[in-house]
Order: sequence, then structure tokens, then C-alpha cells
Amino acid sequence: MNNTSCPVSGRFDPAAPPVIEAENLCKTFKGASRAALDSVTLKIPRGVIFGMLGPNGAGKTTLLSILCGLLKPSSGRVRVDGKDIVTQASSVKRLLGVVPQEPAIYPALTARENLEYFGRMQGITGEHLQVRVRECLRLGELKDVENQRVEHYSGGYKRRLNLVIGLIHEPQILILDEPTVAIDPHSRSFIHQRLRELHARGVSIVMSTHQMDEAEQLCHHIAIINQGKIVTQGSLDALLESQRSGSIQAQMEQPPPPSFQGVLQRIPGVLEAYLDGRCFLVTTDDPEQTAVAVLGAVKLTGIPLVSLKFGTASLEQVFLSLTEHPLEQ
Amino acid sequence: MMDSLKKLATSVAKESRIILRDRQTMILFFVMPVLFVLILSLALRDAFGDRPGATFPMLVVDQDGGEVGKTVVSAFAANPHFRVERAGHPAPGQAALERAILDGRYRFVVIVPEGATEQAKRRVGEIAANVPPALLKDPSVQLRMLSDPTLRTDYRSMVSTALAVILHGEEMRLSGAQIEKNLRAMGYALELPTDLTRTRIFAEMRDEPLRSGRLNAIPSSVQQNAPAWTLLAMFFLTVPLSVSFIKEREQGSLSRLQTMSVPGWVVLGGKTTPYFVINQIQMVSILLVSVYVLPLLGGDRLDPGHAPLALALLGAAASLAAIGFGIAVAMYARTAEQAASFSSATVMIMAALGGILVPKAVMPPLMQQFATLSPLAWGLDGFLDVFVRGGGLMDVVPESLGLLAFSAACHTLAVLRYQNRL
Repeated sequence: MNNTSCPVSGRFDPAAPPVIEAENLCKTFKGASRAALDSVTLKIPRGVIFGMLGPNGAGKTTLLSILCGLLKPSSGRVRVDGKDIVTQASSVKRLLGVVPQEPAIYPALTARENLEYFGRMQGITGEHLQVRVRECLRLGELKDVENQRVEHYSGGYKRRLNLVIGLIHEPQILILDEPTVAIDPHSRSFIHQRLRELHARGVSIVMSTHQMDEAEQLCHHIAIINQGKIVTQGSLDALLESQRSGSIQAQMEQPPPPSFQGVLQRIPGVLEAYLDGRCFLVTTDDPEQTAVAVLGAVKLTGIPLVSLKFGTASLEQVFLSLTEHPLEQ
Repeated sequence: MMDSLKKLATSVAKESRIILRDRQTMILFFVMPVLFVLILSLALRDAFGDRPGATFPMLVVDQDGGEVGKTVVSAFAANPHFRVERAGHPAPGQAALERAILDGRYRFVVIVPEGATEQAKRRVGEIAANVPPALLKDPSVQLRMLSDPTLRTDYRSMVSTALAVILHGEEMRLSGAQIEKNLRAMGYALELPTDLTRTRIFAEMRDEPLRSGRLNAIPSSVQQNAPAWTLLAMFFLTVPLSVSFIKEREQGSLSRLQTMSVPGWVVLGGKTTPYFVINQIQMVSILLVSVYVLPLLGGDRLDPGHAPLALALLGAAASLAAIGFGIAVAMYARTAEQAASFSSATVMIMAALGGILVPKAVMPPLMQQFATLSPLAWGLDGFLDVFVRGGGLMDVVPESLGLLAFSAACHTLAVLRYQNRL
């Protein structure tokens, strides 16, 4: 059913040292019954869009907060571009651009004033600052509203400004916490496009997300975190391959008749068949052989096939099998 | 360091811009305290210290028309705190007199009964003639005093005592005249001095209010209200300061700054410096209004004293104390609403306790001891050192150190809380 193209990591160099490396990272909050992070070891390759997936309370935000320098780890160490985030905090912070989940901006200031303020706080001054402000306004498509107070902006505009403030100092690494949660599809698409552009320019991107399709569309590498532990991590392709599935998923142009489920179940090799509107799912021990027979059965209905996928699992299936939690919980 | 100072200047400019765009807060900061000082200094003018005008209007109903009535009128008229009027003829009745008091036209009515002087003279004559008390024809002369029931009991008692003293003097005068008359009749030529004040055994008592030292001199209305409302305005800034801090925390902009190479003191300084400046402007504007505007409206002029450095030190110390308190509240409060309600309630309690709303000098001794718990009381004592007791820079050092220690304690609590959250 997945008809989106796999994200291409054009800047990824497997031989390059990881841009972020966490070793045995632990964090326990005062009064908490269990650790928010429990011996997290993580390698984020340089030049990729890295997605961090996990259910609510899994430890994603805690991990991102430690990477950003907002929280101190209870134990363990993190190196960003080879620098320790505790002992070389200043150097590390210059490399990072952080985009919080909620727009971290001053509503009483205009977009330009926000950008100028955060730019100066990043140590940018003079003409360079003006160049960067203009570039960020262009990137965020905020030129028309640059002198309006942000409190009058729509949610989508605030998210755009939130994003470009994180880019004001041209960071090498961009960290985003749920960048598209609760925004309209247009703004979501806008942010995805900008992230792809940044990746193409060589920016390493680390983002947490709840949205499986977003991760599949954007991320090259994935880490799944659950109950404070990294359950799995690796390239998206490798992850999907590792959970190779014996299922065949298809989507038809129109819903087939209910009797079609019986037709599918009678195909030799089919273990189970499920019909849900225009989509159906067939489980089998031999997907390649069964797929031929399934295609034949579809042809007999006279309803065109929209998509057919077999051999690999969806990210959601991977996630569910590893965490036993629905992703959008 | 230069880089950090530039960032501090940028933060101060940003915060100032945000504050200046909030008109309601601007009114709260500047207009309200000045209005409070003007209104309360004028309204409470007669409730504090020296009063230039009469406080107690008094009507004397002199039905006698003799020496007793004249003595009473002249004695009270000589006191600047009384405005004495004589009732016309015919004398108003009891109901009209009561109405005059209840309507607030007079605080006191003194009634000298008809024939009082003659009756007094007859009685003195009989006493001088050694008539036994049981056989005296004329009873004691009874003057009456009606008073405003809303007036404090101690004021009524003091006026009653003053009237008794006046009548005692009249008694002495009449007795002397009678003795002189009797001696003359017996062939002795004795002339009593006409100016009795020069022959008094005890000199007249004079009040000697202290103008220096650390005694509880009672301030005038403006001496009390100007510093009191300056301090209250300064401490009330903890409300917008703590709310602004929490909002910034909730909006995530504080966290965003933490992800940058911005030292904590720059973030803190950028946030608090504009409030410090506002505090100083509040103090200067209130003092200027008290010195130059209040007299134009009929109020007392505030004498700012001769120690501008002492005022500057107090203003800075009080502002730092208020800012420290605001930051501590912001660190411990969970929401902006919680911070606003807690800080405003606490400041009002500190103000009530610290002699801001009710002068410490008129509090009972036990409450005066409790007042020393409030940092606003320390600040007020410092200002009163300068305005009332004529103190200088060294006189306000103890109060300023107290305020600075309070500020340091609040900042320490805030830092501990902040580190605990990391």
C-alpha cells in the first residue's frame, strides 16, 4: 500500500564518523519510579535525516533534550561531532539548531525581530545577520508578514518561523521535536520540503515523530525507542528488510464484493485473508508464488489495482512488532 | 565577555520592546503608583503628623456672654488644631446642635450655660467666706461638651481634658480675684499680677518631636505615602516579572536560549534589567510628583532630604529585592496564574505587615515587632531615615543590606530550583 518513494540519502557517507554518538546514556528524574532513559547507545550517521520513533513517554523528548543541552544525563556520555556535550557544551551548541515542538518565539515581536534577536544570541551581527534574516524569511516564505507581530500569525506561520529560527546560524545539525504535529497538510508539506532541501545542503537532521508515514517519507535512518531503551536502530531499508513479512497488501480502485475475501482464502498457499474497503491483506508462507495467484483473482473482479506490496514490512508493522504499542498512541 | 555583554544588551532591548508594547502593563507600572501617591497623600493629609490646617471644627454656644465663655473661646482659638466658631443668637437648641455634629459640620460643641460667670463668682465668694460645702447656695457650674461619635476616643478624651484645664485656670483666676477682693475689704492692699503666665510655677509644656536618630518619628502624609507606594509599586512588579518569566518558559523561548551559547546570567540580566530600570523610574517619578506636583494640588511638599545617594542606594536595593522575589516565584510556580496570584497576595501581606498600608509608627508594639519581618518595612524605614529623621547614606546602609540579603536569598532559592530541574 505504500506508494511513496523511499527517501534517498544523497549525503550519507557510511565511512564517516557518526555526527552524534551516545553511549550508555541514562537519565532518571527525581521521584520517578523508572529511568526515563536506560543505557541508551545510539549512533546517528552524518548527513542523514534520522527519525526517532516511540510511543508517548518512551523517552524521545528526554533524549532530544539531552542532545540539545537542556538536560544533563544522569550517566553516560554523548559526543556531537566528536565533542562531549557536557565538557564542550559551548562548542556543541554552536553546531546545533533546535526546533522545539511548540513554537518557541516571542509573540509580541515580529518575525524579523524574532530572527534578529535569536541571530544575535547566536553571535551573528552586522551585515551577516541581515543576510541570514533575509534568507530565513525567504526559506520560511514569511517575507509578506515579516513586520507583523507573531501573535497575529496562524499556527502554520508560527511553525515556519519556529523552524527558520533554528536555522538562523546555519547549523550543521538540526534537531526537531515533532515538527509537524497538529498542523495542516499544507504546512506539513512545506516543512517536509524544507527539511529535504536542508538535507540536500548537507545538514544532518534528527527528528522525533509520531507519524509513521512522515518517518517513512523523510527519514533514512530510524531508531525506535520504548520505555527508555533503544529497541532497534538502523537504515530504514534495513529495518524494513529485517522484519521481512509474509504478507501481501493491495489497494484496489473500488471496493470489491464481500465474496472476494472467500476467493482469496481459497488460493493455494494463502493462510489468512482480510478485506477492508478497497484494501486487502493476505498472509502466506510464499509471497512470490501467492502474489501471482492474487493478481489473477484481482483481474477477475474487473476492478483495477492501485498498489501492491509484498516482501517487506511497513514501518508500522516493524514498530508494532518491536514495541507492542500503536505508533499514534 | 564582550560577546556576552552584547547579548545582554540585545536581551535588554528585546525585553524593553516587549514591555513597551504592553500598554496595560505600562499603566500599571507608572500611572497607578503616581495616582495612588497623589490621592492618598491628599486624602490622608490630616491623618498624619503635623497638619497645617485645623482638624477639629468646634462650636461654642456661649449662653453666658461673660468671662467663662470668652476664656473657653480664646483658649481653643489659640490652638491651631481647632477652628472655633461662636453660635449666634438666639442659641440653637439641643436638637440643632446634635444635627450639626451628626452632619459633620462640627466635631465638638461646647455649651457654656447662661449665667455661668456670675454663678462661678458667687460660688467662689461663698467658698472664700468659708461657707460649709453643704450650705453652699450655688452648685458647681456645669459646662457641656458634645462630640462626634466617630472620632477616636483618645481624641475626645484629650479635648475633654483640655477643656477641664481651661476651666481649672478660670477657677484659679476667679479665686485669685476673690482673695484679692477679700484682702482689700480687710484693709490689705494686694495686687495680683495680671499676666499669670509669667508667674507660673511650672513652665508651659512644649512638645519636642525628635528629627533625627532612630526613634519612631511620625511621618507626614506625603513622607509616609511617597516611599510606601514607591516600594509597593516596586514589589508589585514581581507580578508581571514572574508571569513574563513563566510565559517565556511555557512558550519555550527560554529553553531555546538554553540550547544556544548564551550564559545564564545574560538570560537573567536581559529579563530583569528593564524591570530594574522601571523601578528606578517609578521611584524618581513618585518623588518628583511628591516634591513638585502635590503642593500644586494643595498637599504637603515632600522634603527629599539631603542624601540623594542614600535614596539611590535604597531604590537599587529595594528593586533587587523585588526582582529576586519575582524570579524565585517564577521558579517555584507552575503556571502564570499561580505566580500572579501568589506574588500579588504575598506582596500585599508584606505591605500590610511592613507599614505600607498602615504606618508602623501607629501600630501597637507587638505589630511593630512583626513588621520587621517584611522587607518592605526595611525599605520604608530607610526612606523615613532620609525624609523624616534627616539621615544620610550611612543611616540607610543597614536597611539596604537587609534588602540585598533578601535579594541574594531569593536568587539562591531560584538557582537551586533551576538546577534541580536539569
